[in-house]
Amino acid sequence: MTQTIASPRARLREIVARLSVPGAIVVLLIIGSFVSPSFLSVGNLLNVLNANAAVGLVALGMTFVAVSGGLADLSVPANVAMGALITLGAQEAVGPIPAALLGFLVASLGGIINGLLIGYMRINPIIATLGTGFVLLGLSQLLVGGGIVYGEPSAIADAVSGSILGIPVFVWIFALTAAIMAPLLARTSFGRWTYAVGGNSVAAEASAVPVRFTKAAAFAMTGSLSGLCGVLIGLSNGQARPIIGTGYEFVAITAVVIGGTSLFGGNGSVLRTVGGVIAIALISNLIVLTGLPTQSTGLITGVIVITAVAVDVYFRRKEGRT
Amino acid sequence: MTTRLALQMTGISKSFPGVKALQDVSLEVRPGEVHAIVGENGAGKSTLMKILAGTYQPDAGSIELNGDVVSHWSARAAIERGIGMIYQELNLIPDLSVSENISLARIPRRGPFANFAAMTAHATAVLEELEADIDPGARLSDLSISQQQLVEIAKVVAERPAVVVFDEPTSSLGDRETRILFDVIRRMRESGIAVIYISHRIQEVLEIGDRVTVLRDGRHIETRDVEGITPDEMVRLMVGRSLGEMFPKLDLEPGEPVLEVDSISSEGLFADISFDVRECEIVGLAGLVGAGRTEVARALFGLERIDSGSVKVNGRRVNARNPRRALAAGIALVPEDRQRQGTIPQLSVRENFTLPVIKRVTRWLLIALGKERSVVADLADKLKVNPPLVERAISSFSGGNQQKVVLGKWFLAKPSLLILDEPTRGVDVGAKSDIHAIIGEFARDRGAVLMISSELPELLAVCDRVFVLHEGEMTAMIPRGEADEESVMRAATGQVTA
Amino acid sequence: MTRATVVAVGRLAVDYRLMIVLVAVSILGAVSVNDFVAFDTFQSVLNRATIVGLLALGLTPVLIARQIDLSVGSTLSMAGISTVMLQPMVGNVPAALLGLLVGVLIGAVNAAIVVWLRVSSLVTTLATLLIFASLALLLTGSRPVSSPDPRFGLGLTSELFVIFSPRSLLFVLAVVAMFVWLRYTPSGRRLYAVGSNPPAAASAGVNTNAYIASTFLISGLCSGAAGVIQALSTATGSPVAGAAMLIPAITAVVIGGTRLEGGRGSALATLGGVVALGALTAVLEFNGVPSYTQAIYTGLLLILLITLDRLVDGGGRKAVRTHGKTRAEVIPNPAVTRRKS
Repeated sequence: MTQTIASPRARLREIVARLSVPGAIVVLLIIGSFVSPSFLSVGNLLNVLNANAAVGLVALGMTFVAVSGGLADLSVPANVAMGALITLGAQEAVGPIPAALLGFLVASLGGIINGLLIGYMRINPIIATLGTGFVLLGLSQLLVGGGIVYGEPSAIADAVSGSILGIPVFVWIFALTAAIMAPLLARTSFGRWTYAVGGNSVAAEASAVPVRFTKAAAFAMTGSLSGLCGVLIGLSNGQARPIIGTGYEFVAITAVVIGGTSLFGGNGSVLRTVGGVIAIALISNLIVLTGLPTQSTGLITGVIVITAVAVDVYFRRKEGRT
Repeated sequence: MTTRLALQMTGISKSFPGVKALQDVSLEVRPGEVHAIVGENGAGKSTLMKILAGTYQPDAGSIELNGDVVSHWSARAAIERGIGMIYQELNLIPDLSVSENISLARIPRRGPFANFAAMTAHATAVLEELEADIDPGARLSDLSISQQQLVEIAKVVAERPAVVVFDEPTSSLGDRETRILFDVIRRMRESGIAVIYISHRIQEVLEIGDRVTVLRDGRHIETRDVEGITPDEMVRLMVGRSLGEMFPKLDLEPGEPVLEVDSISSEGLFADISFDVRECEIVGLAGLVGAGRTEVARALFGLERIDSGSVKVNGRRVNARNPRRALAAGIALVPEDRQRQGTIPQLSVRENFTLPVIKRVTRWLLIALGKERSVVADLADKLKVNPPLVERAISSFSGGNQQKVVLGKWFLAKPSLLILDEPTRGVDVGAKSDIHAIIGEFARDRGAVLMISSELPELLAVCDRVFVLHEGEMTAMIPRGEADEESVMRAATGQVTA
Repeated sequence: MTRATVVAVGRLAVDYRLMIVLVAVSILGAVSVNDFVAFDTFQSVLNRATIVGLLALGLTPVLIARQIDLSVGSTLSMAGISTVMLQPMVGNVPAALLGLLVGVLIGAVNAAIVVWLRVSSLVTTLATLLIFASLALLLTGSRPVSSPDPRFGLGLTSELFVIFSPRSLLFVLAVVAMFVWLRYTPSGRRLYAVGSNPPAAASAGVNTNAYIASTFLISGLCSGAAGVIQALSTATGSPVAGAAMLIPAITAVVIGGTRLEGGRGSALATLGGVVALGALTAVLEFNGVPSYTQAIYTGLLLILLITLDRLVDGGGRKAVRTHGKTRAEVIPNPAVTRRKS
């Protein structure tokens, strides 16, 4: 993004910042290879990516939320649930593909509502998304009477669970989406607006940037991507419960934060988030391979988030003092 | 018999990496005097004051208070020894009451509880000393900026300081409020406090100051009695140039009207405003702070609502409900507050420059970086952005350079009308004349300029016509030949009705 | 109806929102449920609202100090399971005290990260929410733990002084203590300073770090208390007991009028919000509304109130932030004066 050519210390920080995520990934890969012989196999790595590709989609959207200074979208679990439940639940009525589309659309609607509340009504994003998430989750539970929804086997379910050229479809979808999102943020006017709004929204408005639209769009995108995530998971699992999306918002936020993007806006990139997703994927795989219980994922993720942010804050402050 | 000096700073030097901020500067302030410090941005005024406040440590030199040399100077020591600082950014708590703000550092107790009665009494006493008509129980955020400043002064004065420093205190104050401030300062002077008054505004210094110290480029130039100095002389001391050379006079033939404003009103902000701006013309909008000038400017740019009346640009009716529409209609606004409204700090100069018109350098949905860079390079060159490192984050540039970027980014947009709100406020004299040259060139290029400035000499020198606002209404239109400070001030204070 | 009138009405609605919600809920209750407006109902509502109420109470000073604590639910769970799991080892009362201690310790963790590591409270408490929810699951094997002595906490929910129960009385006393502290003590007033304009508070000699740290400790204590009381009352320590309580707690605080921007807030207002929300929940339950539908109503109420707040704020005090500093720009109510300051 922007180079600050100032002091050697700033340059050092710049280098550390750029290398930290790839470096962390390399370190994880090395640790993993010691932990288990099967870790570095292509099969395992693809599996790992596959398991995290769906939530990775959410993280891509969360990147825009973060860069635009929107803090976080905590309604992700609800939108994921909506996507999954409707995709499966409406299958009987309208057929698998229209049902999937419907699921995606309803979740997108949730995202648009978030966007309107946060971008146009200027409500605090944390409160707004907590509120809409609560409402939507309740709605989704109402829809299914609190139980499980089962889907029928269908062509699209098979397609989604399969592989192309040996790489799981999930991973393809994630890669494709990332390939669209990255230049969207880095090289389009909309992307520039996003950075501007996150950096100084008042000045952005005074520079004729459509601030409200930009903020709203970030949340709308995250809602849609959460819906897509839910659709994919629902189809590949064949069943869904309202709690299906629990914790996804945290994984997404963690990916963004580990990647080095600040939740307060103005910096970061999609590529960094992709790095964060990969890092998280490796970490959760390591947890499983070392025999730690799956519940400890939350613990480890939380500690990593704090460490990553604390380190970033430390370097920023040091730079600010010179 | 010698009057003991309240404050004596001797031989102060301070360097930062790459910059010698102060070289062997001395300052002597007597009790009961108002000692002004003037100088351009970068002259060293704020560094000197930060040293006095204990924020910085001097590399060399000593500080004496009331004759006693102080060996270890720190912020704590400064406060304890009676230095009171009043900055532009008020150091107050909006959500607490006036008396709580005044007593915040030392809240009186009654057992485990706060003694509100004592706080109120204390506040009332201090406010009365300053003859400030403020309710101690009022919530601070309900007061006007000028009243809040008085509370800040009360807070400082309550500590019975020996020296009080005012740093650009009138930048958000109107004329009437400045009078009140000066009365308060005079009262402080009478009570024996040594007042240091830092300001850009020469008129004020000449009015309130007893002596003045001029700094330039980190050095002490001169200290004189204020009596007998002319503004021209003051400027020459500060800058090395005379007043007349500062504002270049332009002689352009105005063309067709670009902006026609007919009887616009905005509830609570302004009413029934009509004026026009023609091609190649620079029109000034004068008035006291709070008269509504900025509000009119913002309304034209879509940042405030216009309830009635019409706005035409190049003959076509325009309804700018937000800045994007305004820009599309050909209107651009350079806002008053450069830091808050002007720059995106972590973005580079290039990115700041192209922000309003980013769509124009996109091709096939993506930003054409090559084209962007070349366009920006030309612009930075024309505006004399120094150093011309456009990939650097804009926050690392000086105020003057930042202002050039804030100004320059609209040039790429090629607006028909350029509205400038205090374009040279807080900018050093060198950059000031660069900016005036830029404005002049824009006008020469068949642009129309609407300029708001609180510096009357600047306004009068540069503008072809001056419209004057008073409390939201237009009171006068004065062409250049007839415009002088007196006629403008009369209209601005409501002594003339349109 | 002119715009000014609409704004004025809206403003009244916001200022008196607590009153309005309470009245609306009471009317709704009186209409839809028999004998709704009775001491009995009040006792029951207050009793049940105690748990969320304690969370909301702990959140109040945190929000005043311009911070946020999203980990209150996880803290509740941790305190609850600690109490129950320690009961057989150390006895009932010590176990309860240790449960409280767990709450305070989690608060201390939050405080340390925010103040020493300088990580924002949003990121910090989002992380600790995760960490301790996870830890709770690990400690209990993802299953609720039964108390070996269910009779100990039985009395907590019984009737006391007509309108209270032991636990709700405790809650109300805590509210009063917090109210007195915030409104009438020097340290309470300084807390508002810390949240309203941190650099100004610091230059007046207020130790902002200490104040911010203590708000997290208080929040931890209150959440811990909520967890202990919850566990004792139900004789069960559940690792997910607190998960669903975060939003009702925040809703209660918001109904009460405390702002997220810091500098404003009141313990009594939070109490009002807690009661209002509790009453609403009771009305819904009496009408047989399932819990997930209740969630919908609660969420909608939260959004409605926040939106109303925003809509009306256009003519009120605008706090402007400049790189972290707040400068209050005074824009007088247009319905009152013509001129802009």
